[in-house]
Amino acid sequence: MIEWSHWLPILAMLPLVGGALTPLLFRHRPAAACFWAVSVASVTSVVAIALLLRLVDSGGFSYAVGGWLPQYGIELRMDEVGAFAVPASLLVLLSLVFSRHYVARAVDASRVSFYYALVLINLGGLNGFLVTGDLFNLFVFMEIFSVSAYALVATAREPIASLAALKYLLLGAASSLLVLFSVGVVFAMTGTLNLEDAAAALALSSPMPAGLALAGLATGFAVKAALFPVHFWLPDAHAAAPAPVSAVLSALVVKAGIVGVLRTLELFGGAESLLQPLLHLVVWLGALGALGGALMALVQRDIKLMLAYSTVANIGYIFIGLGLATASAVSGAMVHAVNHAVIKSALFLAAGAMIHRTGLRNIDDLRGLGRRMPVTAFGMAFTLIALSGAPPMAGFTGKWQIALGALQAGHPSLVAVLVIAGIVVLAFGIRVINALYFRPPARVAVASATEAPASMWLPVLMLTIASLALGLAGTPMLEFVGPAAQSIYGTLP
Amino acid sequence: MTPELVDIRPLLAVLVSLACAGAVFAVRHRARWRAFWSLAAAGIKFALVWSMLPGALAGRVYVYQFGELLPGVAFGFRVDALGLFFALVSSTLWVLTTIYALGYMRGSHSLHRFFGFFALCISTTVGIAFAENLLTLFVFYELLTICTYPLIMHNEDLAARRAARKYLVYTLFGGGLILAGMVLLHSVTGTLSLAETGILDASVGDHWLLAIFLLLIAGFGVKAALMPLHAWLPAAMVAPTPVSALLHAVAVVKAGVFGILRTIYNVFGIDLLRDLGYADWLAMLAGVIMVVASVQALRQKEIKARLAWSTISQLSYIVLAAALLTPLAALAAIIHIANQAFSKITLFFVAGAIERGTGRKRVDELAGVGRLMPWTMAAFTLASLSFIGVPLMAGFVTKWYLSLGALDAGAGIYVAVMVISGLLNAAYWLPMIHQAFFKPLPSEPGNDLRNRPRVSSMMIGPILVCAAYVILLGAGASAPSMPFSLAEAAARFAFELEVPLE
Repeated sequence: MIEWSHWLPILAMLPLVGGALTPLLFRHRPAAACFWAVSVASVTSVVAIALLLRLVDSGGFSYAVGGWLPQYGIELRMDEVGAFAVPASLLVLLSLVFSRHYVARAVDASRVSFYYALVLINLGGLNGFLVTGDLFNLFVFMEIFSVSAYALVATAREPIASLAALKYLLLGAASSLLVLFSVGVVFAMTGTLNLEDAAAALALSSPMPAGLALAGLATGFAVKAALFPVHFWLPDAHAAAPAPVSAVLSALVVKAGIVGVLRTLELFGGAESLLQPLLHLVVWLGALGALGGALMALVQRDIKLMLAYSTVANIGYIFIGLGLATASAVSGAMVHAVNHAVIKSALFLAAGAMIHRTGLRNIDDLRGLGRRMPVTAFGMAFTLIALSGAPPMAGFTGKWQIALGALQAGHPSLVAVLVIAGIVVLAFGIRVINALYFRPPARVAVASATEAPASMWLPVLMLTIASLALGLAGTPMLEFVGPAAQSIYGTLP
Repeated sequence: MTPELVDIRPLLAVLVSLACAGAVFAVRHRARWRAFWSLAAAGIKFALVWSMLPGALAGRVYVYQFGELLPGVAFGFRVDALGLFFALVSSTLWVLTTIYALGYMRGSHSLHRFFGFFALCISTTVGIAFAENLLTLFVFYELLTICTYPLIMHNEDLAARRAARKYLVYTLFGGGLILAGMVLLHSVTGTLSLAETGILDASVGDHWLLAIFLLLIAGFGVKAALMPLHAWLPAAMVAPTPVSALLHAVAVVKAGVFGILRTIYNVFGIDLLRDLGYADWLAMLAGVIMVVASVQALRQKEIKARLAWSTISQLSYIVLAAALLTPLAALAAIIHIANQAFSKITLFFVAGAIERGTGRKRVDELAGVGRLMPWTMAAFTLASLSFIGVPLMAGFVTKWYLSLGALDAGAGIYVAVMVISGLLNAAYWLPMIHQAFFKPLPSEPGNDLRNRPRVSSMMIGPILVCAAYVILLGAGASAPSMPFSLAEAAARFAFELEVPLE
């Protein structure tokens, strides 16, 4: 009988160690570095899937690092939120496969081994963040994935990459400080860093310092998640980064901010009087983000910038769901976090393949590419429609549940927000589809382009299929996250 | 309780055209294989759908479920009388339209795209017809929007792009309304089933009921070209003629009308709507549209534009009949789906044939065409007589039952409206026929129409078959095992009547 919980630290340590070793082992052999990174990510994915199966089979479990029991030692635990490690590992794996040919052009040769190292470290940070059971490690792992993300943005050759990375770094560092400060406040109040113990203590504590900690944590994680109006670092960073990094950032790193918010809600679950105004605020900020992000995406000319703004919109949907605090809205938001991750990484990778082949990133310049790069263009067209939330694709499940939740909570106007934002998303999707399929090529680079190598179109195609399959699997996914939604919020209507 | 049988045929009927689309995309530029797959799929689908007719007439309901798409909302098919009727009409017309399109589109560009999406459109239409619940219907309804887009865009010029954009803006807006209505509906009833005679009841509260009614009717009304949501339809005339036929007769507008019928009969139910009184307003709107659109049609100079406005007018017959909420009017609403489809598709096929044969597109250029293309113009005459409402033609059957239904409902005014509309129809069809048959062919030097290009028999054939159907639906309506009895069954179900209607 294998003790499953031993695998938990591997989830984080394997990519961290593997990443740290990459520049040492493969400094001058980029191809081997890629192979190494893909292998590490594959093993991590297998471990994550095994842990997920175990979770489905017999519920959550935890692991005391070094045998020191919680309250004093470090606790790792696997729950439904931690299960996000599975899509995280798989998406990083696909992004790494995609990177094989992409980085040769997009990243300086001398930096390639560092690039792979940073991606792996990012994955390790994400996985650790997802499974950690105490507040201080939450902060540590957050710093790991954040710092590696700043550096990854800066690896791009784009002229604005370092500026975008700097902007991202400043905002990110400020939010990290807020989180650290709040963790300190919680520790001072409760004398523990373990999430569960602290939550129990906070339920009984006085509102004032607790409110400060809540505000600090919520704001800090909201910046990481790019909730409107603290989203402005995101579009530049996600657009300037190398495409596979954009995929990881948009799909996973901002979602880690969402997970942080979920952990915060868990922490303050007992202090309802503090939570209510925050949730209310989050709903309306989310609505503004959803509409604003979609509209901003509509007016972009750069395809990656358009996708980046659409991430802001989708983060808005998720926050609407979290703030509504009804069973269907919260589970819808959690499912949408996964579904959006899959769809958005497909889109960023497809856009990356197009940029790789043509060197063009303006939507109007990509005209006529549908016939030159059939698989990539199909993937992009299909996932753009999925992004708008057309049933039965993956974007639909979450939005439907959030809309139902909005009606239950007595906010019919939010249904209008969701529907309008969906139509706007479809509008810019159609704009891209038009350019790809119904316009003659305007650029020589397009007319002479050919389909991207299999290491690029295969991940795009797999994610495209996944964006349909996850839509069809809406019910099991909702049932899976349902109990977690209930336990995070206490009880939900 | 109607016996429900699990049967794979509804699924196959949808998949056949999907497979056809895949095959057409796969063979790319090999024209013979493309034609083979298109026709084979059309034939198989035709056979599949018709094979369900005897069972449906015997009162059986075929179901096929995949499982849940969302908690409490299944994704599945359920073939009831109304759905099968719509599927019969569209699968029959698909065979004819495919043959016609193979003739009409010869030599055009991107034909694999054209026929691929053409097949997808029919796949989704049958999906709409067989949808077990509103969400399944919506899935296929939105897919239909997306699949018709490349067809309208086919010419890829500025006019096509504008029309296609307009079409998308309208239909996506409509889709958004339906989605919002559906969310409301699900949150108040917890179900989206279309198997009942009404899933709402008065306890829901008036303002919710009104909101759901407005959202669903306006949402479906976009595709049904319900004024003032109709502007996309005349604009979409830039598309190739088989596409116009598909939009007007087979798929798109019928999907909208079908959605309205589902909303009235299966979502709200007759009794609730009668109590609420919303349907009276809808009927009034339909009556106004009937006349206004006919007047607009009279003013059009292009043949296809006139046809488009006539479609808007004819669709409001269906909406009016459904909104009257009497059994005979319901019968009229359902059979008019077929009657309008066959009559209108004949006219479109003829317009396309004239365009290919003589290059003429305008109403005042028709002089003498009847002598050049006698069979084609004879079919045109039959179909337009049907719209005018001459007995023995399909259109008459509709008007007869619609009048009876209106009198039952105590709304005799609509009989008068129908008479006016019939006169207007006569005013815009008859001069065209007169021109075609009784005016001499103008003799223009250098443009001798006597040496015109021959119109392919693949275009003439479907025209004659459709015209024959117009008579068959009119004169042979009450023959046994005709779709008419299916329409009657559907109307009986909606009104929960056990006895035959007459």
